[in-house]
Formats: sequence, C-alpha cells, structure tokens
Amino acid sequence: MKIDFSILINIFNRNISLFIHGIKITCLFAIVGTVGGLILGLLLGGIRALKVEKNDRGISKFFKVIGLAFTRFYIWVFRGTPMMVQAIFLYYFLKPVFHWNSFTAGLIIISINTAAYMAEIVRSGIQSIDNGQFEACRSIGLTFFQSLRYVILPQAIKNSFPSIGNQLIVNIKDSSMLNVLSVTELFFQTSSIAGSNYRYIETYLIAAIIYLLLTSLASAILNAIERKMNGGKKVKTSMEFS
Amino acid sequence: MEEIFKIENLTKNFKSLEVLKGIDLSIYKNEVLTIIGSSGCGKSTLLRCLNLLEYPDSGKIYYHGLDIMDPNMNVNKYRSKVGMVFQNFNLFNNMSILDNCVIGQINVLKRNKEEATKIAIERLKDVGMLDFKDARSTTLSGGQKQRAAIARTLCMDPEVILLDEPTSALDPEMVGEVLDVILKLVKKGIPMVIVTHEMLFAKEVSNRIIFMDEGRIVEQGSPLDVLENPKQERTKQFLSRYLV
Ligand SMILES: Nc1ncnc2c1ncn2[C@@H]1O[C@H](COP(=O)(O)OP(=O)(O)O)[C@@H](O)[C@H]1O
Ligand SMILES: [Mg+2]
Repeated sequence: MKIDFSILINIFNRNISLFIHGIKITCLFAIVGTVGGLILGLLLGGIRALKVEKNDRGISKFFKVIGLAFTRFYIWVFRGTPMMVQAIFLYYFLKPVFHWNSFTAGLIIISINTAAYMAEIVRSGIQSIDNGQFEACRSIGLTFFQSLRYVILPQAIKNSFPSIGNQLIVNIKDSSMLNVLSVTELFFQTSSIAGSNYRYIETYLIAAIIYLLLTSLASAILNAIERKMNGGKKVKTSMEFS
Repeated sequence: MEEIFKIENLTKNFKSLEVLKGIDLSIYKNEVLTIIGSSGCGKSTLLRCLNLLEYPDSGKIYYHGLDIMDPNMNVNKYRSKVGMVFQNFNLFNNMSILDNCVIGQINVLKRNKEEATKIAIERLKDVGMLDFKDARSTTLSGGQKQRAAIARTLCMDPEVILLDEPTSALDPEMVGEVLDVILKLVKKGIPMVIVTHEMLFAKEVSNRIIFMDEGRIVEQGSPLDVLENPKQERTKQFLSRYLV
C-alpha cells in the first residue's frame, strides 16, 4: 500500500514513447468513434423519429416500419451488451467478410457502439424542438428529411451538445475495452508496460492520471465550444463524467 | 365560380373523440371564407386536414377535382400551394427571417438562391418586415413574427392561404399590424380561409362566414346573414358573447 513516486516518474520516463503512442491511439479512437457515432446516430435518430402516416404508400410504409424496427433492435442490442463482447464477436464474425485488421475493426466497432447512444440523444434532441416548427416545414412542402436536415436537427444538435460531447469523454475511457482486440491504445500499452516491470500500482496510476488529463482537456474544449455556440454567454451545464 | 376545395362528408377522430362529424364544404376562388365557432369545435382540425397536417378518417377533400388523399398525390407539392399561417407563428429559430423565406423556395419550388432571395425580399417588403431580414425570430415581437410567417408562406406563391387564429397569440396592440397585412392580401385577391375571433375584421373582409359547433357546420352565409341575422339558436348564443 505504498506508492513510490520516484519509481513512478522513472517508469514514465523509460516508457514515454509507449505511453505517447497509447495516448495517440486512444485519442484517435475516441474522436473517430464520437464523430462516426454521431453521423450514424443522426441517421438512426432521424429514422427513430419517423411517423407512419395514414396516406403512406405501401412501399414507403413498409420501409418506415422496417426502418423503425431495425433502429429499435440496433439500439437495444448495442446499448444492452458490453462493447468488449461486441468487439470480439464482431471482429471474428465479420473477419471473413471484410478481411479487416483489429485496428480498423476497432474504429468501426467503437463508432457503431457510440451510434446507439447518439441515436437516443438525437431522438430526444428532436423531441425537445416544439412540433410547430416541424409542422411549418411540412406546411410549405419540405419533406420529412429536409425538415430534419434544415430546421430540426441543427437545433436538436445544439440542444443536445452537452450529451453529444459527453460521448467523447465516455469514449476516451471506453476505448480501453478495445485492448481485447490488441489495439495499442493507452490501456493496452499500460498493461504491456506493467507486464514487463511488475510495478502494477505505479504503472496504472500513470495511466489513470493520463486518462484524467485527457478527459479534463476534452471537457474544457467542449465547454469552450458550447460557450461559443451560445454566443459567448456563460452556460451552466458542465460536462458530466459518466 | 370555380372551386378550389370540395370537402365531402369529412370526419376526423382523435381516439374516441369525434372532432369533425361530417363536414361538407366548397371553397371557391377569389373567396375569403371565415370560420367562427367556440374553442374546441374543430376549426383548427378542419384547416389542418386541408393542409394534410392531419389525415381525415373518412370523407374526401378534392383540390381542383383531385383527391388529395390519393396515394399518387404529391403531398409536398400540394402543401406548398396551400399556405398555412399558424397561431404560434412557428418560424424556424435556427435561421434568419430571410432564410425562413428562402428555404422552401429552394427545396420545394427548386428556385435558385438568387431568385429565391429576390422574391423573399419582395414579400418581406409587402409585409413591412424587410428591415428585419437578418434578424433571428427569437428577437422579434409577436406581431413581427406573424408578419414574417405570412411572408414565408407568400414566398411559396400559394394559391390559397389558411390562417388559423393568426392574431390570437398576440398582445392587443399588435393585432392591428397583422390584420392590416391580411387585409392587404385580401385586396390582392388571394383566396383565404381564416379562423378568427376578430368579428369586426371577419365582417369587413369575408365573402362568406361559417359557424361551426361540435364538429359540424351549423350555419353559413354572408357576413350580414350570419353575424347580424343568425337563424340558428347556437349561432345566436355564440355571437351574444361578441359585440358585433
Ligand atoms: N392531436 C390531437 N390529439 C388529441 N386531441 C386533439 C388533437 N388536436 C385537437 N384535439 C381535440 O380536438 C378538439 C378540436 O380541436 P381544434 O380543432 O383544435 O378546435 P378549435 O381550433 O376549434 O379550437 C379539441 O377537443 C381538442 O382537444
Ligand atoms: Mg384552434
């Protein structure tokens, strides 16, 4: 139960290039996962907001029903299972199809996992916009997707920016699960270093400090963006660590 | 007179609530038709059915003889021809007033940006809102918002405009400026269906007034007939609350 800080500094100095590599990969996965997840999530969330209307033609009704069922299933599965399990399963299951390496697979898996959360964030963002604006869109003849694209989503994204940004922080931490695919992110690097020096406490404390710095930095950047979006006004929402 | 709409035995329910109980109505070109009736009698629902914001449960709506509920109908194109002005304005909050007026022209009417902007500026001038073209709707007063919303509708070159209590959400001192704009459109000969509680205004601009009660049309006729010599007991009761 004793931490020797000189050893800690020593470990960090000796393995600095390994840690920096891990930080780079972790940031890459967090950013790609969040952006990719948002793009996919916008699509899924948009479909989730569809309403089957009485005069829909057979074919469009069919696609709406299928789309709604698919997104519901997607969100159910990806939010209801650990990303670690998803990662191993999908990597091996789809390897014969995509012939992918674990790095590419990891980027895609973190994106589709994040998309499930983003879809729900986007959906509640859409619901937070009063229906009158959507009706006004339709009343001048904009289609459902045009209404989303030009009027509803820009406001929904702005309103749910704190939750969207929070996914970046979640992904900085949760990308560690991709170590199961031997993706050389920060957690994987840390366990390799600890595996060779047997100083588990000091090595993982370094990792913890780095993760904390990364999430704090991300949080500060997101707050700055949010303040800018709100026209420089101070906002009360602070990033939640969840 | 040429019919724009022909409504036949229209019904609409919300769950077990029967809101429209068989509406038969024709709406003609160059006509200003006003719908009056107490709150909850189905006025908004009738207008919303005309614009297909609500789908009727049974009955027909013909637009120049075309069944608007026909699956082959291009609903979006149709909606752009039937303008709608809402009680709560419903301006798009994420864009300037000018963009509110441009977006439909570009995406629905396929006008190019330059042409759409030119038309938008003309329409904003018509409603006296040109000075606010770069403003966000959230910075405007109610009267200004409603005039901008009318300009947005006008930009689509609608054949007929449906106005659902356009002044009901306004502070009293702003009612006049919006009614003035509507009056200007009436003088231009744009057909309109107006739901309003402004009886004096209705009397002034309408060719025909319809009194609705509990999902039915109870009485209709010229403003003089309906407002000053109502025949039905229900109409008399309703009007007794207003000083006409
Ligand atoms: N979307 C809806 N769902 C359920 N009930 C509704 C809906 N829209 C309107 N109603 C009900 O239908 C009735 C008629 O409403 P409405 O057409 O708005 O009346 P009006 O415009 O004449 O005041 C009211 O009782 C109202 O509560
Ligand atoms: Mg109403």
